[in-house]
Amino acid sequence: MALAAPILVEARRFPVGLLLVAAPMLLLVVFVLVPAASAIVSTLTDPRSGGPSLANYRTLLGDPLSRGNLFFTLGSTLAVCGLLLAVCLPVALYLRFSSGRLPAFVQSVAVFPLFVPGIIVAYALIRFLGPNGSLQTVLDAIGIHGFRSPYLTPAGTVIGLVWEGIPLTLLILLSGLAQIPNAAIEAARDVGAGRLAILTGIILPLIANSVTVAFSLAFLGAFGAFTIPYLMGPASPEMMGVFMQRTFSELRDPAQAQTQAVMSFLFCAAVGVIYVRSVIRSRRRGS
Amino acid sequence: MINRRHFLAAGAALAAAGLVPAGRAFAATKLDVFTNSDANISDWLANIVKPAFEKAHPDYEVNVVIARNGGLDQVAQRALAALAAKADPQMDFAEQYDPNLPKGAIEAGLWVKFDDQLVPNFAHVNKAAIQSPYSMPYRGSQVLLAYDSTKVAADAVPKTWDALTAWIKANPGQFIYNRPDKGGSGKNFVVRAIHEANGRDPGAFTVGNYSKEEAEKRLAPAWAILNDLAPSLYEKGAYAAGNAASLQLLSNGVVSMVPIWSDMVLQGLAQGAVPETIKIVQLQDLALCGGFSASVIPTIAAHKEAALAFADFLLTEEIQTSVLKDLGGFPGVDWSHLPAALREEFAAVIPASIPTFPEGDWSTALNEGWYRNVAPTIARG
Repeated sequence: MALAAPILVEARRFPVGLLLVAAPMLLLVVFVLVPAASAIVSTLTDPRSGGPSLANYRTLLGDPLSRGNLFFTLGSTLAVCGLLLAVCLPVALYLRFSSGRLPAFVQSVAVFPLFVPGIIVAYALIRFLGPNGSLQTVLDAIGIHGFRSPYLTPAGTVIGLVWEGIPLTLLILLSGLAQIPNAAIEAARDVGAGRLAILTGIILPLIANSVTVAFSLAFLGAFGAFTIPYLMGPASPEMMGVFMQRTFSELRDPAQAQTQAVMSFLFCAAVGVIYVRSVIRSRRRGS
Repeated sequence: MINRRHFLAAGAALAAAGLVPAGRAFAATKLDVFTNSDANISDWLANIVKPAFEKAHPDYEVNVVIARNGGLDQVAQRALAALAAKADPQMDFAEQYDPNLPKGAIEAGLWVKFDDQLVPNFAHVNKAAIQSPYSMPYRGSQVLLAYDSTKVAADAVPKTWDALTAWIKANPGQFIYNRPDKGGSGKNFVVRAIHEANGRDPGAFTVGNYSKEEAEKRLAPAWAILNDLAPSLYEKGAYAAGNAASLQLLSNGVVSMVPIWSDMVLQGLAQGAVPETIKIVQLQDLALCGGFSASVIPTIAAHKEAALAFADFLLTEEIQTSVLKDLGGFPGVDWSHLPAALREEFAAVIPASIPTFPEGDWSTALNEGWYRNVAPTIARG
């Protein structure tokens, strides 16, 4: 009996819920899924015979420049994700386990990039990190010379994307950390666990899910980035976003641009699976 | 005393009176003017040309639409599709576009063929600027070299391609050009290398004579020239992401010389955005390319009358003077149709002829070839 009641409620609510999701689902189907499906189908079609063919993918993967750009994007994205976690995890731990005005200030500074559009970030970073920029001026003033600006190098892209990604990663990690009961940590402390033991034995396992979510969202954001790599990155190799745009509008080759997009989608879909699985896991746990 | 009813009636009458001119203003023909040019041009269109045109033609309202980075290509393709479907192309005027695009547009009858019947001022256009009767040149600009006169001595300023490459190699890290697909100044520097490798004859490249084999044969030696320069460029082979980015690196004193659009640097100097120590020079053996920006009008434009009036207005003395003074560009009309004082003032800046490089296949081959053969050559370390 105790089990039957909620199911009954679910069943009665069902049509209303379905109606509520129908509109966004319809938009999703019409404006995202259908065009995406037609793009995928067209990349699998031979332009001359119209029959199914992998020619577009053979061209993409057989071309050293395209392949290089794909691996470069993957490498840069992983670097961005790694740096983001390395920067945000200590900050998140600090914010979780301290209180007062200073942490509130740190948090507001860390979340600030959320409200700054990407193009402004790019120009601000060029002024700050660029040649003869503020950083170089300060370094020169205190006697450190030989600064090599990351502007127009792969490092420029990575730094820009990390700066842009900090707020989201930090907020996700913070929400994960907020769910750790103080009691668990105090109990561990009572039986004599050190800081490192608490971190590796209690905190990290408990926020593993949040770390996965933070990683996948950072990955998805960085892999498809356009503005930052366009303005701060090198001419070659290119990130996929910039490469796709150039293939589409400058080389007037929509078939290859679509193939590049589907390829990028495959990488992002793999990470998307990780994300969905960790969301389902946390739902099941009821947290 | 005004009672409530009188007050309401008066209010209604006032509102009705107010509605009449408002209704007329609303009915003004709205002309969609597309541009894919840099911000200096779109700002000029919106802030100077639009108000002047609307003042001269109160019945028309100009809507400046910015469609950069290939956006205009898609608009033009949409117009071509509309021509076949006998529909509204939703574009009345493109401030700058190649009438040879999309492929077959001229044959299909997409673009208006200009003459002085349709556009009276067309008779004043500089004959050297007309590349096709299907587009109307109205402003020109050319790529030249801008240099920092505090770092480059007057007698060291290069005047030929050989002197320029020698200077770049003698001053490593002091020169940068932008990626050819991201801005015309870098592109025309690449074009100059192509011209150098092909007997300095701009006429050797036409819209019609492109073929894949020919492109490989003619472009390969240019890639060799540019790769030879790459290690001596800024950061041993970094390429700026646009015209403005190059100019910024020069203005900040990071590099000492860049290729740049004449209008961009002249406008920057006039507004103080570029330091006065920046000077300009043109190569004498063969100038860097430039060209006239020519406008197109779809034959099926919903507001074709207004578009033709706008075209005519661009060629008036008022706007042509503004092209020179506010934009730093070259006028599209013949010099005899401009005030004599202006002619003397700008005589030194205006070249007799401007070499050009064809859009379309040759440009695509240039972009693609540069990204494959030149961009990856980076000798960092």
